Amino acid sequence: MSFFIKKMSRRAIVQALIALPALSLFRKLPDADASHADPSRADPSHTGASRADPNEIVEVNGWILRRSDLA
Amino acid sequence: MIFDSYEAYRAANFTPKVCILGSGPAGTTIARKLGAAGIPVVVLEAGSREFSDESQDFYRGTTVGDFYFDLDITRLRFMGGSSNHWAGWCRVLDKQDFEPKAWVPDTGWPIRRTDIEPYLPEVRDILDLPAFRPDMPISDDIRWVQLIKSPAVRFAEKFGDELDKAKNIAVVLNTCVTELAGDGKRVTGARLWSNGQDAGSFSADYFIICTGGLENSRLLLWSNQRSNGGVVPNATALGRYWMEHPTFEGGNAILADYNAFEVDAVNEAFFSPTLAAMERLQIMNFGIRLIETPYPGVKSLIADLACTAPSMAEWMSYQLSQRLRCAAQLYVAWEQAPLASNQIELSKTDVDHAGAPRIELHWKKTELEHRTLLEGLRLFGTTLIEKNLGRVRIADWISNGQDYPTNDETAGHHHMGGTRMGTDISKSVVDANCKVHGMDNLYVGGSSVFCTSGQCNPTTTITALACRLGDHLSKVVTV
Ligand SMILES: Cc1cc2nc3c(=O)[nH]c(=O)nc-3n(C[C@H](O)[C@H](O)[C@H](O)COP(=O)(O)OP(=O)(O)OC[C@H]3O[C@@H](n4cnc5c(N)ncnc54)[C@H](O)[C@@H]3O)c2cc1C
Repeated sequence: MSFFIKKMSRRAIVQALIALPALSLFRKLPDADASHADPSRADPSHTGASRADPNEIVEVNGWILRRSDLA
Repeated sequence: MIFDSYEAYRAANFTPKVCILGSGPAGTTIARKLGAAGIPVVVLEAGSREFSDESQDFYRGTTVGDFYFDLDITRLRFMGGSSNHWAGWCRVLDKQDFEPKAWVPDTGWPIRRTDIEPYLPEVRDILDLPAFRPDMPISDDIRWVQLIKSPAVRFAEKFGDELDKAKNIAVVLNTCVTELAGDGKRVTGARLWSNGQDAGSFSADYFIICTGGLENSRLLLWSNQRSNGGVVPNATALGRYWMEHPTFEGGNAILADYNAFEVDAVNEAFFSPTLAAMERLQIMNFGIRLIETPYPGVKSLIADLACTAPSMAEWMSYQLSQRLRCAAQLYVAWEQAPLASNQIELSKTDVDHAGAPRIELHWKKTELEHRTLLEGLRLFGTTLIEKNLGRVRIADWISNGQDYPTNDETAGHHHMGGTRMGTDISKSVVDANCKVHGMDNLYVGGSSVFCTSGQCNPTTTITALACRLGDHLSKVVTV
């Protein structure tokens, strides 16, 4: 793992991480762990992406954006 | 009076009280002030009325450390000095630039901005400037600041006639001071070089060195070496704490309304951090220059944005199709932390035609500066979001912590420090009146006395300090 991380630019890693939620495999995953911590999130249809604050400021590919700007 | 040679000057039998070295903005301003006060003053200028390769060659030197301009292209050696090609961008150092930053060692001046403010009306006359406008905060973190693009006064051109007619000012061209001699209390004489040869010794009651932000240190280092410490008795800081304004393209911005800020004639606007933001992030001062992005640049920004924030990319495409300005390049210039290791040394191997060692400039940017650049762009980006003004993209080399590009602006041609002002003699060379510590008749003019660099171009502050020094000397020198 660390070998690959070293070989990849930071930008490529960030791009890969952004792409993850777009894969159906990840989208269908219920947020099981989080439901333990917060009962209001027990609804299995809740995904990480939909819960995030749309006004949160994020840095993606060097862009400083609001989360709601993202695809 | 202007003399084209030292011989012509000698024949005129003029007896000066004060000898100024160099006729750039600092030297010319001090000479005019002293002349107006009725004090006879001579200005010894190494170059002639025009540029010459022969004179310029004296400015060659080497740089060790980060990439920097060749030392003979980053300044000019003839009447008027580097004002012959400066760009005329004007702003006075910020109030906070004079105050110590608790998070950065060796910051803070022994004077405050209020000490030079009384001279600003004079500075405006000298540099042909309109009124300064106060900074406008656009958020808790970012100020929209003014940087005046002045007509770039060429000092020799603007003041040449006045100097020629002045009865108590003598400007002597083609006359270089190669070294000063001193006894640890006073400068006792200056060694001259004229017409390609040694021209003997010159004396006056007071000497003011205004040979520029690199040469001031070189001349004092060489003079001190030759006179066994008799010119700068406390020389620990001599040549040290040298600073520039590193300047690089830091990224881009897309702007919801390009007209939200009143841009200048070339569509540029400037932004700096508030003191609170610098303190919170423990960074230095910086200036972000917003310049309209040319069409191809906007297109590649849209492409870059398309996969990350498609609706924003779509909005930009629409703006572009309507020929509306919507994107800007962000150039960042920032304040360097004063470091003793950034210094001017005398070359051990290379001398100029007069036999004086050339400069070896040691210059390196630090981690704090990279952080200032990165955090500065983040602050600006966050402010644009919070105020619904736009979005920022930080250049990859900055986010990825890569080396500084060598094909960018690099720096401002602003040579600061080396003979810095202060009260601690181990960390400074001149006192609050620009007098060399321990010497009764030796003063320094120009940006070599700067303790910190702030983020803005130096000549407005140099001119204000020169007016202040001129006023001070008018009271000290008795005729
Ligand atoms: C390309 C460029 C663009 C710039 N743009 C800006 C800008 O937009 N805004 C800004 O604020 N600043 C700008 N600057 C910086 C500005 O030019 C300097 O800050 C300013 O000229 C410094 O004034 P000075 O009188 O201290 O020194 P100088 O202008 O360097 O004058 C020194 C004088 O001393 C003479 N001299 C040198 N050695 C000796 C010697 N041994 N004996 C006798 N005479 C000697 C030289 O010939 C020269 O005439 C720019 C500089 C450059 C190179």
